[in-house]
Formats: sequence, structure tokens, C-alpha cells
Amino acid sequence: MIKIDTTDSDISVIIPEGERLTAANSTHFKEHVVAHVESGHSRLVVDMSGVQFLDSAGLGALVGVLKRIGNRGDIVVCGLADNVRQMFALTRMNRIFTEYPDRAAAISALKDAI
Amino acid sequence: MKVVIADDDDLQRAILSAALTRMDHTPIEATDGAQAYDLLCEHDASILVCDLNMPGMDGNDLTTKVRGTIRDRYVHIIMVTGHDQDAVRKNALHLGVDDFMGKPIDTATLTARISITARLVEHEQLIQEKTRILEEAQHIIEDDLNAAAKAQQRLLPAQQINTSLCSFYSAFVPSSYVSGDMFATFELTGNRTGFYAMDVSGHGVSAALLSVAIGHLVTEEYFERYTQSEDGKPDPALLAKTLNDRFFHLDSEDYFTFFCGLVDHDSGVLHFCQAGYPTPIVVSSENSIRNVGDGGYPVALLPDVDFVSESVSFSNEETLVLFSDCATEADNAQHVPFGVDRLNDTIRTACAEDVTSIPDAIVSALRAWRGQNSLDDDLTVLVCQRRLPK
Repeated sequence: MIKIDTTDSDISVIIPEGERLTAANSTHFKEHVVAHVESGHSRLVVDMSGVQFLDSAGLGALVGVLKRIGNRGDIVVCGLADNVRQMFALTRMNRIFTEYPDRAAAISALKDAI
Repeated sequence: MKVVIADDDDLQRAILSAALTRMDHTPIEATDGAQAYDLLCEHDASILVCDLNMPGMDGNDLTTKVRGTIRDRYVHIIMVTGHDQDAVRKNALHLGVDDFMGKPIDTATLTARISITARLVEHEQLIQEKTRILEEAQHIIEDDLNAAAKAQQRLLPAQQINTSLCSFYSAFVPSSYVSGDMFATFELTGNRTGFYAMDVSGHGVSAALLSVAIGHLVTEEYFERYTQSEDGKPDPALLAKTLNDRFFHLDSEDYFTFFCGLVDHDSGVLHFCQAGYPTPIVVSSENSIRNVGDGGYPVALLPDVDFVSESVSFSNEETLVLFSDCATEADNAQHVPFGVDRLNDTIRTACAEDVTSIPDAIVSALRAWRGQNSLDDDLTVLVCQRRLPK
């Protein structure tokens, strides 16, 4: 359902598995990532390159993680498919989540921000 | 436990009957297959001990009839045959016999066979009772959901509303009993018409609780009060902000997309606030399409975000079409979403024929697109036509 890459000790890469992040799996996604945040990891890159469809519940799960992180960390996204990017634009989430083209660019930017 | 014994041999029947009585079961004796079948039905018995060879309906015929007709419970069939009748037993197993006893019957074998079968029957009865309780609970829940669905439907405007200034046509299709969608239309003072449509994230009962709460909260008076600034200018973003302040909770993920519109019929202007709701379209009298708005923050997702009031011309002869995200996101068996282009084509075609047919045309097109599957998200279509129908 979800993979978390902690190769870089400071930054966790969250990789939703499957092509859809929707009402069917968003609760599990959020709980899994929030548990990771609660265990002390609060700088996250969500790699969406495998996600072809995001619905309103999936978006709510991403914002739920953001709310849990609060001021103690960062959450950025990368690899957005066109329709996912349109969803971010329609809901102005492109002003909330910084987007990077790929995982390497996102990690690099988060490191530079330290 | 009731056990039907089918045997034409009086002595054999008496031996079986006595043994079962000693085991605290209730034997019911039959001298042939037909009588055994009648007694099984009459007494609702679940265990049958039958001889293979009987005049008239024999053990195999009886087994076939029991398996073919008694559906409300499982009848365990123990057949009495000779010890060396393998081929006979294979055939009987195929017909539905559960177990065998050889002749002559010894009491130890009978006791063991009947005890095992009685335990199975008790277990089945336990499961049946649990199923009955679950079905009863399901009926109660379904009755409640049907009542909730009716209550929600009563909150909605009629499918067609003709006011002195414009007309509304709508479709409202919950994906389940109740919907996370809601919409309303209002005739306001000063030659203005108001409306909103909303779509709660997710669907089902939890989404419906929020949509119904909004349906009750946003009355005509509430709408008029919160869609204009203190100096009386149209400001639909104020309503989105008011709802955001009221419904945002840090520990909740419930949020909704929202579109609020205010048509000023004197100036031919649509004032609106788009809060994450899919971008509506306006169809001109020449059947061309243009978008209204390009997005905005949803309501109750984040605190202290800016909601924006915008304005576009909305002339007579033009038609505004709002639709919830189901209209573009509904996917077919190959997971291809219906998409904006197909939706626009559907609207254009329906509009050219008859504006009033747009909501039904969208519902039909989406159902056809979904094929065997029903819609898996709530659908709302709201059409506003400034010109009254001819």
C-alpha cells in the first residue's frame, strides 16, 4: 500500500503504491504516514510518480499529514501526473505543497533548506 | 434432536429407534422414502438415517429429492448399506449422502455417527441464529438509511424550478443511500438569484451528515446575509469564509468543495466564489462553452485561507452548468475517466436539443460509461438558465 524510503536519515520518501489514492485507501495511507511522522520523521517527500488518480479523499489525506506535521517539518511532493497537478491547481494545493519534478530534486531542495 | 429413520424392516427400525432414544434424541419412524420425506418436512428434522433399499422411493431417490427441494436447512443423510458396496456408496455420495453405516448396525458406530452429526447440526443452528440477528440488524440499518435518504431529498429543491427571473434544472444521484452532495437555490431581493453546490470529500453516511448540516444551516436568510459585504456589494466569498471558520477543525479531515453564485439580473453579472468545486461552464446561445473560474481553496480543509469573489458576465440566453467531480472522474471498466471533453460534448448536444434535458443527459451518459457498475461517487448536476423556457 505504501513504501517509505529512509535511505537518507533526515528525509523520508513516501511512495504510495498503486495507481490510485482515493477514498478506498486514503485512510490507510494517512494513518501509516502519520505513524511515521509520530516516530520522529517530519521531513517528507511524497513521490506521486506512480499515482495516476487522486480524489478528494486522497487530497484530504495529504493535508491531514501536513496538519500533523505542523511547524515541525516539511512535506513536499514530486512526480505529479497531469490530472493530479490539475487537482492541486483547482484546489489551490499547489500553493500549499511545493512541487518538484522528481525525487532527487525534492530531496536536494529539502537539504538546501536546512 | 429429531432424527427421521427410514427403513421398511420393522426390526431394524426398532433397533435404531431404541438406540436413538437412549441417546436422548427423538426418533421419527418412516417405512419408506415418501413417508420419510413428508416427516422430514413436517418436523423440520435435520438428520435422516435411511436404508438404501426400500419399496417405492428408495434411499437414493429420497436423497435426490431432499437435496433438490429442502433449502431452508441442511439435512444430514446417513445411509445404511452393505459393507462391501463401494460402487453403491460412491453413487450415493454423488447424489448427496453424507455418511454411511454398514449392516448389521453396531451401537458404537451409530452413537459416534449420530453424535458427530448432532454437533454439526447444533453448529449450523448457531450460525443460523447469528445470521438471523445480523439480517435483523441489517434491516434496521437499511430502514434508517432509507429514512435518512428521504430526509435528505426533502432538503433539495425541486428538479425543475421556474422563477420570474431564471430556471433551474437538476439531478441528484447518491452513490449509496445518502449523499455528501448538497445544493440549493434562492430568490433574493433586488432582482438577484442565489445558489450553491457542495461536495463533501468521500461519500456515505459521514459525508452526508456534513452535507445535511450545511443544507439546514444555509437558509435563504443566511445566504443573503453572508453573500454581501457590509456596504451591500455582492461578496459570495464571505459565505465560503464563514463556513470555513465554522467547520474547520484541526483534528478532522472532513472538508467540502463549494461553489456559491449570485446572479444579478439587472446587470447580467454572475458573482461567484469557487472553493475547490469543479469549474462550471457557461453554454452560449451559439452552443460554445467557456469556463467560469479556475479554482480556489476548499472549505474546512485549511484555516485562514483566502476565498475570492469573482464576477463574469452572464447574459440572457446563456446557461450555466455546475457538476460535482463525479461527472468527470467516473471511470469505465478500463479505468478511463469520463473526462471534461466527453462531459462538454454531452452538455453541448443536450443543450442544442433542450436545456432542460442537460441533467438527465449527463446522468445517462455517465451510467452508460460505467456499464455494469453503478456510480461510485455522489453526483449533482445543477443547470441555471436565465431565459425562461418557451
